Amino acid sequence: MTRDIDGEIQALLPLAPAFLHILIALGEGERHGYSIMQDVAERTAGRVKMSPGTLYGSIKRMLAEGLIEELTTGTAGADERRRFYRISKFGRRVAVAEADRLKSLLAQARESGLVPKRS
Amino acid sequence: MARTTLGERLYRILLRFYPGEFRDDYGREMLLAFRERSSHDRGAGAVLRLWAQLLADSIVRAPGEHLDVLRQDVRYAVRSLRRAPLFTLTAVATLALGVGANTAIFSVVHAVALRPLPYEAADRLVRVWERNEALSITGFAVSLPNFVSWRDRAQTIELAGWRSGSVTLRSTSEPVRVPSVVISPDYFSLVGATPLAGRAFVALDAEPNAERVALIRDSLWRSYFGGDHRAIGSTVTIGTTTHTVVGVIAEDSAPLAAEFYMPLRVDPAAEQRDNHIASVIGRVKPGYTYAQAQQEMESIAKQLEAEFPQSNKGWGIEMSTVYDWLVPEATRRALFVLLGAVCCVLLIACANVANLMLARAASRKREIAVRMAIGAARRRLVRQVLTEGLILALVGGAAGILVAYWSVPLLRQWLPDNLPRADETTVNGAVLLFSLSVCVVTGIAFAILPALAGSRGELIGAIKDGTRGTSSGGTRSRQALAAAQVALATMLLVGAGLLVQSLQRLQRVPLGFEPVNITTAMMGLPQDRFKEPGSAWEGFYKQLLDRLGSAPGVDAVALSSGAPFGGGNTGMPIKAVGESNIRDASLQTDWRMVSPDYFRAMRIPLLRGRYFAPSGGGEKDTLIVSATMARRMWGEADPIGRQILAGPNGKYTVVGVVGDVRNLDLSLTPAPTMYLSTTRFIWPTMTIIIRGDERTQAAELLRRTVRAMDPQLAVFNVREMTDLIDQSAAQPRLNASLIALFAVMAAVLAALGIYGVLAYLVSQRSQEIGIRMALGASRPAVLRLFLVRGVWLAAGGLVAGVLGSIAVSRWIGSLLFDVRARDPWTIAAAVGVVAVVALLASYIPARRATKVDPLIALRAE
Repeated sequence: MTRDIDGEIQALLPLAPAFLHILIALGEGERHGYSIMQDVAERTAGRVKMSPGTLYGSIKRMLAEGLIEELTTGTAGADERRRFYRISKFGRRVAVAEADRLKSLLAQARESGLVPKRS
Repeated sequence: MARTTLGERLYRILLRFYPGEFRDDYGREMLLAFRERSSHDRGAGAVLRLWAQLLADSIVRAPGEHLDVLRQDVRYAVRSLRRAPLFTLTAVATLALGVGANTAIFSVVHAVALRPLPYEAADRLVRVWERNEALSITGFAVSLPNFVSWRDRAQTIELAGWRSGSVTLRSTSEPVRVPSVVISPDYFSLVGATPLAGRAFVALDAEPNAERVALIRDSLWRSYFGGDHRAIGSTVTIGTTTHTVVGVIAEDSAPLAAEFYMPLRVDPAAEQRDNHIASVIGRVKPGYTYAQAQQEMESIAKQLEAEFPQSNKGWGIEMSTVYDWLVPEATRRALFVLLGAVCCVLLIACANVANLMLARAASRKREIAVRMAIGAARRRLVRQVLTEGLILALVGGAAGILVAYWSVPLLRQWLPDNLPRADETTVNGAVLLFSLSVCVVTGIAFAILPALAGSRGELIGAIKDGTRGTSSGGTRSRQALAAAQVALATMLLVGAGLLVQSLQRLQRVPLGFEPVNITTAMMGLPQDRFKEPGSAWEGFYKQLLDRLGSAPGVDAVALSSGAPFGGGNTGMPIKAVGESNIRDASLQTDWRMVSPDYFRAMRIPLLRGRYFAPSGGGEKDTLIVSATMARRMWGEADPIGRQILAGPNGKYTVVGVVGDVRNLDLSLTPAPTMYLSTTRFIWPTMTIIIRGDERTQAAELLRRTVRAMDPQLAVFNVREMTDLIDQSAAQPRLNASLIALFAVMAAVLAALGIYGVLAYLVSQRSQEIGIRMALGASRPAVLRLFLVRGVWLAAGGLVAGVLGSIAVSRWIGSLLFDVRARDPWTIAAAVGVVAVVALLASYIPARRATKVDPLIALRAE
């Protein structure tokens, strides 16, 4: 009874932009909801500001898909009313796969001359 | 907690758009995120952007979350239903029966009673009749002079009149007899019918010297003229006059079912005001109400009564909508009783499925308790059971609609011919909408109880002790449901019992004649045959009857102006000459013109005096009366030789008294009837009556004989008398057989319900039974224990059912003939049947209880 992990990963691609943003935000460690929102805004220079609905709607779905995990106890010292999330092993693999997909897409775009080649 | 800002309060409202579970999980977090973001995002642009996002969340995201929850619920429900195939199959089959039967019956109700009439502004179309309360005449034909006066004076209503009849058409092909009308030219514009081809009538067509024109219905156009466009402009001969066909009228564009239309020409000088021969239809003019039109018509009738006391004394008007005329109230009532009955079946089916679900909920108690313990919200559990219910209802409903698709064509063949508009019964959009709403309502109806019962579980007890997690609440609901089923089944059985008895009595009613071996047919003679008095009889019919009478197998032949159950009636008020029970009053009396052998052919017994003599000479002013008429006029005195006054034709002398005959309807008591001899009176259209055995081949014999005498004459409406009588009982037969079918379905479903409840009880109490038996209880004692339980269960339902039957007796009473709606014997019989069924249904689980092995039952502890 082996899980077809690669198949499961491929089934999730391409990842919704919100999912990828959240995975990237959690790449460095666990965060609570607003902290994810803030991190995404900073990384995109304020261009992407998630609404609470988008954020928690995505979190709910990503939890269901097993991309992220909820921490059962908050990090020491943190506001204990907050719920914290971290990326799962599976989530990490999905993020890598998505990055590979984007990379190969970029390579194709360069190949065709659509995007200038790196000097 | 920080003080709540206006924005936060607003956001709390927006959060309400999300499903409860989602709010429970993330609401607080979202609020926190909102609070922090709104404290960072300052400046008009940022605030605007934030609120635009929040609003979009509630409009797009929140419904998405709802859908997501629904999808999960459906997936969960489907999975759990597939894990219990026996339960699912039983529930779906039960619902399919209930919904299917409802859909089929509703499709008939819709076609007959609910569908709007296909005429322009049909609710403003009315029929107008004359009535005379003193003579107890209602819904009577209108005299042409009265019609003309009405039409000239009425301001609130347009009126058109017609006279129905039939004509023999002669064109290029063989002569054909068709129903016809002479009709006011403006009838077609009044009802809003435009011709399919050609033109409708115009006012000029009714002028005395106008060219004779005619319209045909498209059925006749297709059958007789082969649908040829050259039919328009062609000529047809009726008797000695030639008519030009000017247009074709569509089948359903007008409420009148004639095939051949000619313009009505009224010469008021030549018509008599007391000769009631015409029918009148009207359209209430825009700006006026039905009541205003009725009031005006009544006041016009009063004026005419004052102006023409001789003919109009006591005559008023009567009005009804065309809808009430075409779809009589009695028909609608019968249909709604059927619909009520089939709804009872559905309710029973719902109760059964609810019971199944309750049993299932009880056995899933442990699963539910565990899910609640790990945090599933109660509201979600309730919704999941409701989702299961709705899925069952929709699948059952879809199967039910298939059942209806399959059964409606069968049902349509079974419907009485005289049920109006029933031939258009189909499972159409409106019917499907009805079925869909039935499904949704039933789904919620049968799932609500299990949903609540299931989630109310005693959490701890169920987890600790899964096997014995009995809920007394659930058991009580199940018993109440089973009792309700018994009650509904009892009501249906009472209804079925009453209708079946009513039908039997109707079919056993004495007719006053012997219908077996009688064939009737109609035929008419052209006008020129009537020029000499008596010429139609002496010159044609007498010979025809003689020829027919001598054919092999023929017992007797006769002629009449109307055979029993042939449709239509003729009657007039008569007065007595000399002493009588009615003194100066009139007696409304049905009359028929009959040939001398009529009574012998019909086998109507002679009670006194004699029949008409075979040779016409002596019967100029003689009369044969029915027993009822003799009794009403002269009581027990001998009526022979007494005289009456009838119409303008004067005095008649009674020469014979014959038995009463049911002429019109099985359920109507015979009216006073008198018979005039065809040797003096003959109508243009007469009915031939042939009594003969199977050698006769009456239809063929008649056609052959008539053709031999005059190839221009057509014979039509050939019918067996027994068929005519059967047709007259068709609606009661349909009511009785359908309700009996529903009652059987109800009884079976109720039996399943009782069986289910008891079987469940036995399985729940097997340990108790084991203990009892270990302590010495005998098997018969255990059997008795559960049988008594089942009978008690049924008893409550039986009492409720009897009360229910009494409560609805008013509705069913109007459908009954010669049976009281609260007939105690019928109620007792229904109670007996249901009690026996309940006992049988209890016996199987009760017997299983006696098979409990004390050792095994106790070891399970």
